[in-house]
Amino acid sequence: MQSRRCADPHLVRIDAKRWQGPLFYPFRCSYIAWNRDIMSFYKYKDIIEEGDFVLAFIGRGNLKHITVTPGSVLNTRYGSFEHERMIGMKFGDQMSGARGVGFIHLLHPSPELWTISLPHRTQIVYTPDSSYIMQRLGVTTGTRVIEAGTGSGSFSHSFARTVGSEGVLFSYEFHEPRFLEAKKEFQEHGLLDVNTLITHRDVCNGGFEIESIPERFSSDCKSVNADVVFLDLPSPWTAIPHLQKVIAKRSRVGICCFSPCIEQVEKTVKALQENGWSSIEMVEVAGKRWEARKEMVKDISDVVKRLKDIQSRKSQGIENRRHAKVVGEKREISEVNDEDSGSEPKKFQNLGKGFNPFGKGLRVKEGDDQWTWTNVTKIEADIKSHTSYLTFAYMNPNVRIAEFPKQTTTNESS
Amino acid sequence: MSETPDPSPNVTPAFKAENEVFAPKSSTIISPNQFAFVRLPSEGMKIVELKPGGIINLGKFGAFAVDGVLGYPFGQTFEILDDNQVTPIESITYEADISEDVELSEGGAEAAGPELTKDELTKLFTNSSENNQNIINIGSSIQKLSSEEIDSLKKSGASSDFGQKIIEQIIAGHAGFDKKTIFSQQKYLKRKQQKFLRRFTMEYLGSSQLLKYYIEKDSQRVLDMSEETLGLLLNYANVRQGGRYLLVDETGGVVLYAMMERMKGQGTIVVAHDNEHPNHIALRYSNYQPSMVEDMVKPINWLQFMEPENERIDWVTATEDELNDMKFAKRQQYERRSKRAQEVNSVIDQVTTGNFDAVIVVSTLNLPSLVPHLIGTVGGSRPIVLYHQYKESLLDTQHSLSNDKRVLAPSIFETRVRPHQTIPGRMHPVMSMRGFGGYILWATRVFPKEGGVTAVGRGVSKKKKDEEAKVEEKDVVMEEAKDDKA
Repeated sequence: MQSRRCADPHLVRIDAKRWQGPLFYPFRCSYIAWNRDIMSFYKYKDIIEEGDFVLAFIGRGNLKHITVTPGSVLNTRYGSFEHERMIGMKFGDQMSGARGVGFIHLLHPSPELWTISLPHRTQIVYTPDSSYIMQRLGVTTGTRVIEAGTGSGSFSHSFARTVGSEGVLFSYEFHEPRFLEAKKEFQEHGLLDVNTLITHRDVCNGGFEIESIPERFSSDCKSVNADVVFLDLPSPWTAIPHLQKVIAKRSRVGICCFSPCIEQVEKTVKALQENGWSSIEMVEVAGKRWEARKEMVKDISDVVKRLKDIQSRKSQGIENRRHAKVVGEKREISEVNDEDSGSEPKKFQNLGKGFNPFGKGLRVKEGDDQWTWTNVTKIEADIKSHTSYLTFAYMNPNVRIAEFPKQTTTNESS
Repeated sequence: MSETPDPSPNVTPAFKAENEVFAPKSSTIISPNQFAFVRLPSEGMKIVELKPGGIINLGKFGAFAVDGVLGYPFGQTFEILDDNQVTPIESITYEADISEDVELSEGGAEAAGPELTKDELTKLFTNSSENNQNIINIGSSIQKLSSEEIDSLKKSGASSDFGQKIIEQIIAGHAGFDKKTIFSQQKYLKRKQQKFLRRFTMEYLGSSQLLKYYIEKDSQRVLDMSEETLGLLLNYANVRQGGRYLLVDETGGVVLYAMMERMKGQGTIVVAHDNEHPNHIALRYSNYQPSMVEDMVKPINWLQFMEPENERIDWVTATEDELNDMKFAKRQQYERRSKRAQEVNSVIDQVTTGNFDAVIVVSTLNLPSLVPHLIGTVGGSRPIVLYHQYKESLLDTQHSLSNDKRVLAPSIFETRVRPHQTIPGRMHPVMSMRGFGGYILWATRVFPKEGGVTAVGRGVSKKKKDEEAKVEEKDVVMEEAKDDKA
């Protein structure tokens, strides 16, 4: 669904080599002019226009990302949807299929919806983990963040959204094909235009320093000067010694290392200690989704009543005849004689076959008004029982960095 | 300096942080006239106000002069010296260093077995993070201590190595200490450190710290919300710079503060509340200028929200002549009323215009009856995020929303963080943690197609064959398709 212009590997490759240079901007603008206004991850818009980035909600957990391009069609198992018809519709609109059958919803991208729909290049950081890391490390508008590696870019979108136009996301990816894909994706999503700088680098060997940071991304000291570091690397302990040169010197810096194995945590903790990080703590995040379901209320007295009913019908020979038929065969209501009209009508679902309080043999839809239900929650069938260990730590400058005029003379500090 | 000092909105901080136009407070440097969060060795916490020239009392951990901590970055740990002075140190406890040194001296895997002698412990102390001070002299002071003796030690005055001295002497006086395993020795040491070390960490009072403070103090005030759940709420609600949100916040403003922090003063939060005035008591610690809060936070009570046309104030602007005729007091009253009318009408306009970037509800109100009134105010494709401390309330809400076609894919989420003992070689989850934390319902606001749609589902091909039955079956098929999607 993406534009061919941007998919041209040649363009992207040249672009990748030149991204730091001053030539980069005019070059880039020339071929992305068609979607330069895309700000999907920084603010909402209401009406869908040509070139917009849309998430088509097909079903729970099934979202397709498309760039609205006249002439293109989104084909799903729920029908075909022409892009042309989307133009002028509202974000959030329900759209019916080409032949009037089937529907999708046209959603505006957000980092959380993107996380559900994105193409996996690597294991991704899911929302329960990413949201906790952000909250714990105090990521807000204006925070300068290091992220290595970029991976599938799920967390990158979330970081980029939260740090906003005043913050910066420095993202590093050592795997070249992944880097190129991520860079293209960030370009298309407008991240590179606002606050994100992606670098092709093996930070474990090459460190984090960036030679020429575009002016709009540089802080006062013309360096990365990160407030928060997130390391999702196979061996974070080899990258930790390189951090000293790129983290903020005048404020506390928080770090989170994301590793699936406990052995990695061990090495990471030691490296953090050796490099002066403190308040080291490892945690795990368990995220769960609960489904809202309904459970039929089956009263014991109805069970007893039914057994008695079977007994009495047996003695009358009715039960034997019943067995001659297929149990639970679905029949239209009109076909069935109302033999037991004198009893509680609600519980006689399969009229003509005795007292059937729980709809035995019928296809009972959960929540059907004819029965009594209680609301219950059921945990999703597959839970993520382990994503990764999150090792947090802080680096304090341990020096006084500002003087305030004394208002009293009683306490002299050293 | 008390634990819950009066808010002092009129104090203008002498320090003005760079690039913080709306929030003239620092989130990185310990600055005067600002509230800050203090962590104690006991894992206790306090909120203090940093009045220049003031003394802050930390109870048994001592007292310190505010001037001594100003100018350091937030996150700095200090040790209390004589005369309320402080010195910066690297860590509030020694825990991490102990394991390291034990491994050095005894060799990795065997570290768990052998006992730790007093001499080694002494070495641990001196090799600890506070290596700028040579403070332990164990050989000279072995003695058994009674509680009276400990008390008199405490009274003997604050000196830099006061805490360590006491711990040292207690250990020395502990006849069975050598017989303890290294694990229990460390546990013992940690307990004593928590009791006697005169240290504290001065942290920035961010939303996580504020939430932790309330959780410790009275978790019901924040409706049992945990830090991880707050983070999940803010991310699902897509809270960011420049956003426009509708918020129901019964945590006294903790969620509001968290949103303001993320947005850094840029954007609008309309807060619906159930009294005459909103309860934003937590904001008194925020150090936000009242003007900045006014710019960003627009309160509306439920009566105004539910009956906007009745509650809109018909305001007749006085003519120039009328204004000139007014006496001073009358004129003031006029100005006040005029301002209020404008505020009320403007927030009513905000709600009737709707199109909010998210609605966030953290409330004890009955959600199935409340939420339908809020959905219409949310813009297309924007999130609806509901918090409740009980899953059952969200369950009922989700069931009630499942028939509301303005809401797409509501789901209940739970997130729990499990902390671990983080010592190399002895990693394991801690033995106990808080059990609660609340639940989040996340959904997306959508616009159902007018006149309905025919869904693809079981029975569709059959339906094509039987055109007559199509109309009757339509609803059933819709339901089935919905099941498929659910």
